[in-house]
Amino acid sequence: MAAISLLNPKAEFARAAQALAVNISAAKGIQDVMRTNLGPKGTMKMLVSGAGDIKITKDGNVLLHEMQIQHPTASLIARASTAQDDATGDGTTSTVLLIGELLKQADIYISEGLHPRILTEGFDVAKNKAMEVLESIKIPVDVKRENLLDVARTSLKTKVHPSLADLLTDACVDAVLAVRTPGKPADLHMVELMEMQHKTATETTLIKGIVMDHGARHPDMPKRVENAYILTCNVSLEYEKTEVNSGFFYKSAEDREKLIAAEREFIDQRVKKIIALKKKLCDGTDKNFVVINQKGIDPLSLDAFAKEGIVGLRRAKRRNMERLALACGGIAMNTVDDLSEECLGYAGLVYEHVLGEEKYTFVENCKNPQSVTILIKGPNKHTLLQIKDAVRDGLRAINNAIEDKCVIPGAGAFELKANMELLKYKDTVKGKARLGIQAYAEALLVIPKTLAVNSGYDAQDTIVKLQEESRLSPDPIGLDLSTGEAIKPMDLGIIDNYIVKKQILNSCSVIASNLLLVDEIMRAGMSSLKG
Amino acid sequence: MSTREILSLQFGHYSNFVGAHFWNTQELSFDYTGTVKTEINHDILYREGQTLNSEVTYTPRLLLADVKGALKTLPESGGLPDESEFEQSNIQWEAVEKIEEPTPHKNKYLKDIDSEHPLDVEAKEYNFEDNVQTWTDFLYPRLHSRSVNIVKEYQQGSDKESFDIYNSGKSVWKSDFGDNFSDNIRKYVEECDSMQGFQVNFDCIDGFAGLALGCIEHLADEYTKPILVYPIIPSYFPDTNPSNQSERDTSNLKDSTRLVNMALSIQEMSDHASLFVPMCTGEKGWRKPGNPRLFEHLNYNPQLYYHSSAILAAAIDTLGQKYRLKSNIYTLSDLCADMTGYGRKMAAASLRIPFAMNESQYLIEHLNETTKPIYTSITPSCKIATDKIFQLVTVRGVPESHLKAPLKEAKEQMNIPAYRCNNVKEMFELYFQANNFLSATNVTVCEKPLELKTPFPKIFSNNLNKYGFVDNNNQSKRVETCPVIAGHHNGNFLADMIEKLHRDVSRIKFAKLHKFREEGLEAAEFSESLDKLSEFKDNYEDDFEL
Repeated sequence: MAAISLLNPKAEFARAAQALAVNISAAKGIQDVMRTNLGPKGTMKMLVSGAGDIKITKDGNVLLHEMQIQHPTASLIARASTAQDDATGDGTTSTVLLIGELLKQADIYISEGLHPRILTEGFDVAKNKAMEVLESIKIPVDVKRENLLDVARTSLKTKVHPSLADLLTDACVDAVLAVRTPGKPADLHMVELMEMQHKTATETTLIKGIVMDHGARHPDMPKRVENAYILTCNVSLEYEKTEVNSGFFYKSAEDREKLIAAEREFIDQRVKKIIALKKKLCDGTDKNFVVINQKGIDPLSLDAFAKEGIVGLRRAKRRNMERLALACGGIAMNTVDDLSEECLGYAGLVYEHVLGEEKYTFVENCKNPQSVTILIKGPNKHTLLQIKDAVRDGLRAINNAIEDKCVIPGAGAFELKANMELLKYKDTVKGKARLGIQAYAEALLVIPKTLAVNSGYDAQDTIVKLQEESRLSPDPIGLDLSTGEAIKPMDLGIIDNYIVKKQILNSCSVIASNLLLVDEIMRAGMSSLKG
Repeated sequence: MSTREILSLQFGHYSNFVGAHFWNTQELSFDYTGTVKTEINHDILYREGQTLNSEVTYTPRLLLADVKGALKTLPESGGLPDESEFEQSNIQWEAVEKIEEPTPHKNKYLKDIDSEHPLDVEAKEYNFEDNVQTWTDFLYPRLHSRSVNIVKEYQQGSDKESFDIYNSGKSVWKSDFGDNFSDNIRKYVEECDSMQGFQVNFDCIDGFAGLALGCIEHLADEYTKPILVYPIIPSYFPDTNPSNQSERDTSNLKDSTRLVNMALSIQEMSDHASLFVPMCTGEKGWRKPGNPRLFEHLNYNPQLYYHSSAILAAAIDTLGQKYRLKSNIYTLSDLCADMTGYGRKMAAASLRIPFAMNESQYLIEHLNETTKPIYTSITPSCKIATDKIFQLVTVRGVPESHLKAPLKEAKEQMNIPAYRCNNVKEMFELYFQANNFLSATNVTVCEKPLELKTPFPKIFSNNLNKYGFVDNNNQSKRVETCPVIAGHHNGNFLADMIEKLHRDVSRIKFAKLHKFREEGLEAAEFSESLDKLSEFKDNYEDDFEL
């Protein structure tokens, strides 16, 4: 009997082998769910909720969020995978697969009586060796469009259909290159993702400017202007009632009107200042004027703008204020007191697009846009969502490559190479720790194996073929998913992020070791604290 | 006169119950024939929109939040017919693995309102008492696609991932959820020409309290509009009546958790909200909701959210008449300014449902004979004082024909001073003047009574007639409308409530609240909040004269 049951007779517990079995079966379970999604040939999963909401995805992270994971061990693994996504934006499915496989391999040795501690020591040694291999095969790259295209394409092909992936690749790479200033890390927030439920997914484009999800709220304002000054400001242009007039004491309607008129005057002054600037700069030229305000603009102020041919947009997104300044130039103004031409931005074209009740305003043809928009189109909500998730991961992958300044060959090449190196290295290690290394080496093969299975090839055949090939070739060898033959991934532009692999190796070894070392699982008292 | 729009926000399961009743009441009172004169400007709460197929929609200007699994039959897109059915041909996926949740069973009511030719739902009997599990089970309106927001991290009715800590709500607000939610707020506000403000209903006993406060803080930061908040406490919890020791322990701990959430949210509201009015149909509200508030001619079961939430919905609907009337220029900001003198941002609410007079009786006699207060407090642990108060009272559905007897038949009515009053408004004003010493009262009168169409619960006693008047030889089976009185009240009587809250929370040992600490609440922060709460109480204590 466990000690805990003396203290708390209601405690649930599992000990030693039983505890390990619980952990291993959970890891295997979650691995089984995710296995089919890996790689460009993995299946999509379509999740349909009871009320008919649809979600289609093959992104491991999205899936893990959608599934209600009840098992504590499984949810621990899921969290590791989420952390992987937060840190690098990719490799979530691989994390789950690798943890599962490490435990599966370990199970074989433990059932033969090996102590888990010995195994974990072996894991640790093997991890360090694998890191060395990773260092040895990484390939330095320059920040060039061609290099980044390969990185983005490899990542995107695992999330969406190939024809769409090619399209998104260009958009993502151009977006990152536009917002990046050499020598500084790129701020991916400056790439706005705007969804438009319209047409088909393949119409998704990169707009070198800003797209906003609202439009001018006055029927007489022009729908399309060219050659426009852009004033971005955060100044209230609506009359707001002050809270001094009380319903108890306040009776006469005229008094009230007078007060309103006086307060209204204050707003009118602001509007007049903006109009004055417009007159000074635009009258007599072919230039136009657009006001984009973070605060409100009420109908009277809109009316005044419309009469002058000014386009006025209210309630802009806070983050768009920053983006607008980067895209068009100019400064976001907090007051209208000292307006001048220097504060204004410029856009070659501003126009409105209406879809049902949604309006979109495009600010395009900017001089040197440092903030851009990826306009995601799709016929329905779930397509939009899926593309959005994919684009986010694509952007992250490109950014990772820029920051790492290096990449590694994809298509399972690293895993094969590491497997080979580890098996060689094993012979140089003395004692039982080599069993841990052996297990680790075998576990790594889960990635190429799953890739092969998902593409419809036999796992063993493929692995044997690839191992033979990589013994002969000095270059890393990967798996060609369309033929099942060995290829050199670098030649075909199949490239993975260095940081992603590094993160996977680190977190998987640690979590698998931790789970192996658990010899007692208790659940006691938590219900009264939590429940 | 422009529309003076209001954006409604609902956070939490019970608040959504209240909301479901509230929106049912609004939508079922719509008149599509154009023959009836409406007092209420529906455009204040509703918005006109258009689907992609150019069909016109009229949906509540509403954002609501609930946890996963609470929606049951309602799709997240709000239930408006979706024009783009899943088009498989459009996307060429190689292999799609389909994982489907079982489709929840739609109850009879939902099937009936979904059917092409709406049957007369009024004539049918639905056993809502046994069938309603969640608020979507009796929700009549269809919502706009941005209205429904789901907190995915937590699940309804799950032991492991219950959403019951204030600070977890705050962290959810800081996550993507908050980003999307505030973007949705912005989109609604952008559409409005001259918005009056925000109305927020939220459950103040669980994680939604933190979520709502995160949102209220954002509103206060971003928009200079008044924010009227109704923190709501459910009438019953599954653990309210423990039967053995271990259940009692669990219940105790949960009560403490709820109490802390409540105190933290009230303290923060005193910083960010313009006016807030706690509500509960239980007398005490905290530690346990307490005995149900009693309303004459009303038999409701506090264990059913479906019942108690209808009462609060009736109250909120009636309280809101004042700033939604077509004929009035009173707005939310006036309401907040009127009620919150001296920094007293918390007010109490009261309700009388039904305001049942005898069918043969005149209002003048009824008010003359009644000795009890004409309203019941629905603010927990709070007894509304009769003296030195500010109050805004709304009376609806008392017909002018029931005011007083005509001159010829007046007889002894002539001797009552109130006989000189010429309308319902004057009479109520006189009544309050006589009953409330040193008080300021503002009475609003609406002609229309509260309409009680299905699915409003049938909780009225048998001696009420169709129009909610007492009639002992009553033939008709159900009450269709009834007069209601509701009011906002403020005065130093509220100091007692805050005092009691402060005392009860101070008794809780912070060290015992592991979960709060796990979610990042420090002991020092907690005690600072308590101090601030006690400072807030001081606003009510000074002996200001009116």
